Amino acid sequence: MKKPIAISFTGLALIALIGFVPTTQAKGDDFGEVVRLIEQFYHVKHEGIPLLARAGMKTATTVARISGGPRRQIAEAGSVKVAYFEDQNFRSSGSYAAFKSSMNSVLTGWSPFIQVASPKEDAQSYIYLRDAGNKFNVMVVTIEQREACVVQVNLSPESMAKLMRNPDEMGNKITVEATTNDKE
Amino acid sequence: MKLLSQTLLKIASVKLAALAVLLMLGATATALAQDPRIQTSQLDALAAKASETVDVNIDESLMALTTKFLSSKDEDEKKVKELVSGLKGIYVKSFEFESEGQYTDADLESIRSQLRNPAWSRIINARSKKDGSVEVYVMHTGGQISGLAVLATELKEITVINIVGPVDLEKLTQLEGEFGIPDLGLEGSKPKRKN
Repeated sequence: MKKPIAISFTGLALIALIGFVPTTQAKGDDFGEVVRLIEQFYHVKHEGIPLLARAGMKTATTVARISGGPRRQIAEAGSVKVAYFEDQNFRSSGSYAAFKSSMNSVLTGWSPFIQVASPKEDAQSYIYLRDAGNKFNVMVVTIEQREACVVQVNLSPESMAKLMRNPDEMGNKITVEATTNDKE
Repeated sequence: MKLLSQTLLKIASVKLAALAVLLMLGATATALAQDPRIQTSQLDALAAKASETVDVNIDESLMALTTKFLSSKDEDEKKVKELVSGLKGIYVKSFEFESEGQYTDADLESIRSQLRNPAWSRIINARSKKDGSVEVYVMHTGGQISGLAVLATELKEITVINIVGPVDLEKLTQLEGEFGIPDLGLEGSKPKRKN
């Protein structure tokens, strides 16, 4: 049976390497709440993007070359929020259910579109969606043994509808778009 | 005499109110019994033993959005738009295990007990020792299909698919690989047994 979901952490992590992407941890917003939840649940601290920005340009260029040709823009320009956790301990010892429950509690106004847990790899991926008038907010949370990433972007309803057809690729497409957007 | 008539009126009022409550409760129970959305949360206990768990939830609002914004000009999107038009939800839950014997029929009872409701009819029941089993159920409401459920099990895998809305087997086969619905190889399947 075909596995329905495969969200690449590597792809998501690329976003965090881009200097133009702002880190966001504003009080009161759901993105910040999720970042804080991860910090409290796993006793970790998110990284400041400037530390990682040095590799950003090279990575973005590489990704742009790989993707090739004119790309359709998915994420709304300037809508990307990223928080990155590097080289910290995310081993959950089977506490996925508790974390998932906490995530759902924090993101009450969001629809839990996809939730994937792979205990063997100590990996978790979540995609939440929220109607925001004439656009959609999408939040992608990916956690592995030593790294984690939280991404929030705005998508047009048309882009959302297209991506909904293939949720396997949704996280990756958003990531690639966020990574390469504004770089060409 | 006046007192007696007032008492009788009060008794009649109480009886009418009780009857109304009973009717409302009956209607609610019927509605619940015929809800094409099946509950899968009882399976969550298996997550602790699974090597991978996947939950896909496309509720009515997301479904409506998808239908609204898929293009009617692009042939591929147009086809999908027609397929999902009218659907009120797609829900997929799957568990993959490292080894055999990580789940039993008792674990699946919470799903099967819902599908034993007379509103559900089993249209496919394919079983093999090697490939596991696939059971497909449809719910009829008012002479129309109002939901579909698939319970697919392999030795190391469980998949539950629930589609709410007017969907038949043909539609399901065309939706395989879309919206998180895994490829179950149902194409060409024909109803083998009806309950």
